[in-house]
Amino acid sequence: MFPVLSTLLATLLVGTVLTFLSGKYARWTALLVSFAFLAEVGYLLMYFPGWPGLAGGVPQFADSESYAWIHLGWLQVNYTVGIDGISLVLIFLTAILQIATVVYSWEEQKKPAAWFGLLLLTCLGCVGVFVALDVLLFFLFWEAVLVPMFFIIGYWGGPRRRYAAIKFFVYTHVASIVMLVGLLALVFYSGATSFDYSSVFAAAPTLGVATQAFLFLSLFFGFGVKFPVVPFHTWLPDAHVEAPTGGSVLLAGLLLKLGGYGLIRWAVFVLPLGFHEVQPILFVIAFASIAWGSIVSLAQRDLKRLVAFSSINHMGIVLLAIALGSSLGLLAAVLLMFAHGVVSALLFMTAGSVHHTYGTRDIASIGGITPTTPTLSTMVMVGSLASLGLPWLISFPAEFTALLATWDGLAYWVLIPLGILVVTAAFYIWMMQRMLFGPPKGVPPTAHDLPWYETAGMGILAGAAILFGVLPFLLVNLITNSPIRGFAGL
Amino acid sequence: MDFTSFVGPFVPEILLLGGTLLIFLLDVLGLRRNEWLSTVAVTAVVLALLSVLGDLGFGPLSVLATLSPGQIDTLPAFGSAPLYHFTSLGLVFQAIFLLSALLVTLASASRPSDEPGAPIFYGLLLLATLGMLLVAVASDLIFLLLAIEVVSIPSYLLVGYRRRETRSMEAAMKFFIIGALSTVLSFYGASLLFGAYGTTNLFLIQADASTVGFPVLVLLGYGFLVAGLAFKVTLVPFHAWAVDVYDGAPSDVSAFLAGGTKKIGLFAFFLVFLGPVLLVNTAAAGQSPFGGGAVDLGPTLSITLGVLAVVTMTVGNVLALLQKEMKRMLAYSSISQAGYMLIGITIGTAPALTGATLQIFAHVLMKGGAFLVVAGVGALGIGPLIDDWKGFGVRRPLTGAAFALMLLSLAGVPLTVGFVSKFILFSAAVQAEGWFIWLAVAGLLNSALSVFYYARVLKVMYFDRPGPLETAEGTAAAASAPALGAGGLGYGRAVAIGLAAVLIVGVGLYPQPVVGAIQMAAQHFVSAGV
Repeated sequence: MFPVLSTLLATLLVGTVLTFLSGKYARWTALLVSFAFLAEVGYLLMYFPGWPGLAGGVPQFADSESYAWIHLGWLQVNYTVGIDGISLVLIFLTAILQIATVVYSWEEQKKPAAWFGLLLLTCLGCVGVFVALDVLLFFLFWEAVLVPMFFIIGYWGGPRRRYAAIKFFVYTHVASIVMLVGLLALVFYSGATSFDYSSVFAAAPTLGVATQAFLFLSLFFGFGVKFPVVPFHTWLPDAHVEAPTGGSVLLAGLLLKLGGYGLIRWAVFVLPLGFHEVQPILFVIAFASIAWGSIVSLAQRDLKRLVAFSSINHMGIVLLAIALGSSLGLLAAVLLMFAHGVVSALLFMTAGSVHHTYGTRDIASIGGITPTTPTLSTMVMVGSLASLGLPWLISFPAEFTALLATWDGLAYWVLIPLGILVVTAAFYIWMMQRMLFGPPKGVPPTAHDLPWYETAGMGILAGAAILFGVLPFLLVNLITNSPIRGFAGL
Repeated sequence: MDFTSFVGPFVPEILLLGGTLLIFLLDVLGLRRNEWLSTVAVTAVVLALLSVLGDLGFGPLSVLATLSPGQIDTLPAFGSAPLYHFTSLGLVFQAIFLLSALLVTLASASRPSDEPGAPIFYGLLLLATLGMLLVAVASDLIFLLLAIEVVSIPSYLLVGYRRRETRSMEAAMKFFIIGALSTVLSFYGASLLFGAYGTTNLFLIQADASTVGFPVLVLLGYGFLVAGLAFKVTLVPFHAWAVDVYDGAPSDVSAFLAGGTKKIGLFAFFLVFLGPVLLVNTAAAGQSPFGGGAVDLGPTLSITLGVLAVVTMTVGNVLALLQKEMKRMLAYSSISQAGYMLIGITIGTAPALTGATLQIFAHVLMKGGAFLVVAGVGALGIGPLIDDWKGFGVRRPLTGAAFALMLLSLAGVPLTVGFVSKFILFSAAVQAEGWFIWLAVAGLLNSALSVFYYARVLKVMYFDRPGPLETAEGTAAAASAPALGAGGLGYGRAVAIGLAAVLIVGVGLYPQPVVGAIQMAAQHFVSAGV
């Protein structure tokens, strides 16, 4: 069979190298690579054979490939890749965000070849995480994402970029290490014959409940920092505020999704007994993140910090949906990740555009910008309304499913996330009221509306937010083509 | 024993000895140009390396083999008390030692052709390498310790061969005194073991070990050996000399010390501790060493080694964090790396030895390579401080990228050989189960800690400005340096650095051939003993 997933990875890898080498034409190369990648993802979507289902209780994957890598008898590492609906939806998200980011940062002046190359490299790492079905391969891609993001923040970022870059790197790297010990222990303690997902999956039930719970927690630590969940979230506001716009877009849109994806694929599915044991802890952390992200957002004056904290709130809902451990909950989690990927990316772009149009991101010091910059203002509105969960926009079906699943699993506890959604709505509406409407304030005479490339970059995301808000079943059909279908781990 | 089968196995050693003598002969004849001397040295090392690789049976190179396969990994009859014995793990170590010598000699080819002391440098370097090869074949304690001396004495002289530099002289003096002390401790330990076993032959010790057991005399003997060898390996608390010596020595010599000679102590650890005790324990327990569980080294020894490993990693890393000078930072990081390697010996399974050996191989490339870069950039006007490297990565993209790669590999970032070696080592620790998983946890946390100081150098290299060439002193230093090819590094050094970088990435991407060979050797070593 044609190695379509390796082709996908190779496209990005070769594209990255070419972009690094193409000097001032780097943006064209990057755009070309992004289109090629999008076309390949389109091919994947069109010819996706559906989820092959379980074989002997072990989930199978479409388009899977496996080649020997390190074989030492006691240590069997392979290059194994494959997809199901969950990975496919997130790869699709990567393709959208990649092209939007490349277009948005079309006029990047500071070392454009390196900038576009690193953007593509980040996407390569994320796609790798989504397709990897081998413990080491997964970990490699997981870590590989850190390096380009470290440079993106550290070189193109704001005034405190070095501090932010190092904090980001160290936080996530330490977490990854704890996760790696967990993964290694999972392989060796369960007596799995190789590092492949399927053999780990098949061997994991031999572990006792206590071991499973312990392993689940060590994996959760790695994934949770990436999420990020309270109390491991403090790297996120710093990283976001200092990161350049393109960096924030990929950070919020893609990197945070790695945590959710990893948790579902490698922890919840593989260690159901351990998951059951630590479920109460996950609920507490989820509620804490939802509440903390939302309340702290209210106090923010900086547009970017606002969006960053609202990300913590949204990812808290994702964790809650995962923690429910039901088929519906997992569906909601993946939908929410897709929705948040699109919407937070859009909002970070608007924050970037506000910053270079008005020279500030301070919500209180500008106002009434709609007459001067109508396009920007529209984009802020689409993003904010989508983020607060307005029907016909992408977050609505996702959040609705999440609340439904919460009601299903926790009954009246649903009032907590529901109540906090009101707070979320409040801080977005308040922000729009102060910034977009009313008498003009802090508008420089030179201010003009968005350049075409920024409009186009945001337009792609706004279009996706509307399209999948109106037609959410496109995503739902895809996502349920995975072990989520009929998942009854609990 | 006929002549060829006696001499044949020692072809690599003879080549190095021949190279040494030729270099000293050229010196006497007054032919002291650096190019000629370095050509002789590189040729000798390359031929020796090819011969060792041939013995290991690497594909087409096996035509160069000087050992018949029957001579490798076969146990001689007990009672014959051989002084030396060829194991495939020993050959792997010979290859690693020769690789480190190759990198240093190649890089030194870029020195000015009329540099004083060149014959002494190359001659002593080859002589020390010869001693390293002998360490790798030892099967007798006295032979082993004498081979270590053959390495040590040229190393003391190498550190101080630039007689006009007081810093180097001070370092050499310190190195000599500490080295002499460690030798005394080792020999004292060996004499206690002789008292307990009535022999210094490692095979015979192994054969008698089950009847003698672990009386105080034996533990005391091993204790002194731990201390003596720990000086060589720079284990904490026997590490204090290393930083001053690596810092004071010419950087090329530091590369050789940190990348090469230090590893003989680790192989000596393998020989002295692993072989005999392992065999006793497997014989007593009646189980195969490949049963999955780690073999007990005798609780006292095992725990001592484990504690030494963890303390060494941690202290090395914490002190590296505090350093402001590049060479001192690298020296402390070298100490912490020794701790990782010791983990393998503590666990004592074939997988763990594989990981440790690969880590040693990786360290030759990354630390040796890093010191070679540091030695080369002095001529480009870059001072000793880490802050002097501001903007280096942008200003010199290729050298910068190679150096960054070495640091990333030291930090254990994926797709480098440094990651693969740590991955296998820590996997082996988890796989051995029991308390060894905590060694993996300690090692991984230490890797995370080490990222701090490597990332700081990357930050300075890529994010900070201005570069030293913009300062007056930097420009003056760069102008006064002789113009060399390959961007000021000289071609030989550029090739050496490039070779190290390519191997770091190549083995990092596709480790199977190297790791497979090492694992095979480690399995023979563990199952046969010594």
